[in-house]
Amino acid sequence: MKFDAIESGIYPDLIYPAYKATVLRGPSQAPLRIKAAVPVEQNIVPAPRILLPHDADLTAHGAEGGEPLGEKIVVTGRVVDEDGKPVRNSLIEVWQCNAAGRYRHKRDQHNAPLDPNFNGWGKMLTDDDGRYRFVTIKPGPYPWGNHDKAWRPAHIHFSLFGNVYAQRLVTQMYFPNDPLFAFDPIFNSVTDEAARDRLISRFSLEHTVGDQMLGYEFDIVLRGRGATPMGL
Amino acid sequence: MSNITSNITTSQTIGPFSHEAWQWGVDACTPDRLETSAPTIVITGVIHDGSGAPINDAQIEAWTPGAAAAAEASHPVPGFRRVPSGAAGEFSLRVSVPQAPHVQAQGEPVMYVTVFARGLVKHQFTAVFLEDDAGLAQSAILNQVPEARRDTLIARKTGDGRYRWDIWMQSEKETVFFDYV
Repeated sequence: MKFDAIESGIYPDLIYPAYKATVLRGPSQAPLRIKAAVPVEQNIVPAPRILLPHDADLTAHGAEGGEPLGEKIVVTGRVVDEDGKPVRNSLIEVWQCNAAGRYRHKRDQHNAPLDPNFNGWGKMLTDDDGRYRFVTIKPGPYPWGNHDKAWRPAHIHFSLFGNVYAQRLVTQMYFPNDPLFAFDPIFNSVTDEAARDRLISRFSLEHTVGDQMLGYEFDIVLRGRGATPMGL
Repeated sequence: MSNITSNITTSQTIGPFSHEAWQWGVDACTPDRLETSAPTIVITGVIHDGSGAPINDAQIEAWTPGAAAAAEASHPVPGFRRVPSGAAGEFSLRVSVPQAPHVQAQGEPVMYVTVFARGLVKHQFTAVFLEDDAGLAQSAILNQVPEARRDTLIARKTGDGRYRWDIWMQSEKETVFFDYV
């Protein structure tokens, strides 16, 4: 595949002082554009056995066998490349906090309750149309200490492996009309407004499931064009 | 901004809370579970921020395709490693090397590496080479890197089958990070 240079503003600024941790962690030099056959032609190949039962239903992990608290939702979308071709059979990982804004993680000290029936992580493969789908609980906002009254807009973390190594992407999906967008330096480290808006999922009546859960749709465009007919 | 045409989905930081979700991949490649038909080497290092302080919440992925992955065919993700950095920023990667570096002589990276961390808003691609690879001078990748910065990609031999390679996000030692064409 070919990977065109990405225009300034679409990727977040590697050093974005309003997000304090970037100041010493973001590389100071622009990445070096290089030709290398392997990363644009090959990829890791996970064995199917890595996918466990209920990996795509985050509401089915209860230690007590019960339902997690919060608003049950389904999240789905298509993963395509820059040509619009589906990225098939490709691994996606997701993780998030619970409905109260607390991650099941030893470093999360937020004074909000853990839910014994919610872990907050899962994984899945895209299908032949590039589509993924998982069931979860709508995550809550939470404070993060970057500045006074710093609260993250509700989000779900995504990790995608694409069809070739150079397509790797880690990002965050947000929910429509979050009042915290304007105040979040992580969201705003992407200076192009259209690129930011593409991180916001859409409410979907089509994917809403009866009286069980509301649907949200989040399509993802990975870098790269000129995939072979095999998709690899 | 009107000249922007790409419709790609942009990146956001991995944040500090990936560990539980990413643990399956860590478990899949811990050295005591690694089944490989090839000899192995170990690359250890520390990931540093611009002040030299260790980064203790990074995730490092490394990948060796081809013969190394083939030697790990029974592995859940052949040729792949995922290692969270430790409390002192340390990481350790055990790598299958079907051919010894001095005969490999291809100038290929011993591992392609991807770095993720809180405060890193986009993952960074890099690669590591072994200093005793006789093919370094002919490396197609290294020859695209300014000579003064090539050392940042080369693991130094510290003993039999042991190498040292640090990652620096900033400073005069800043690791060369790639954007593949």
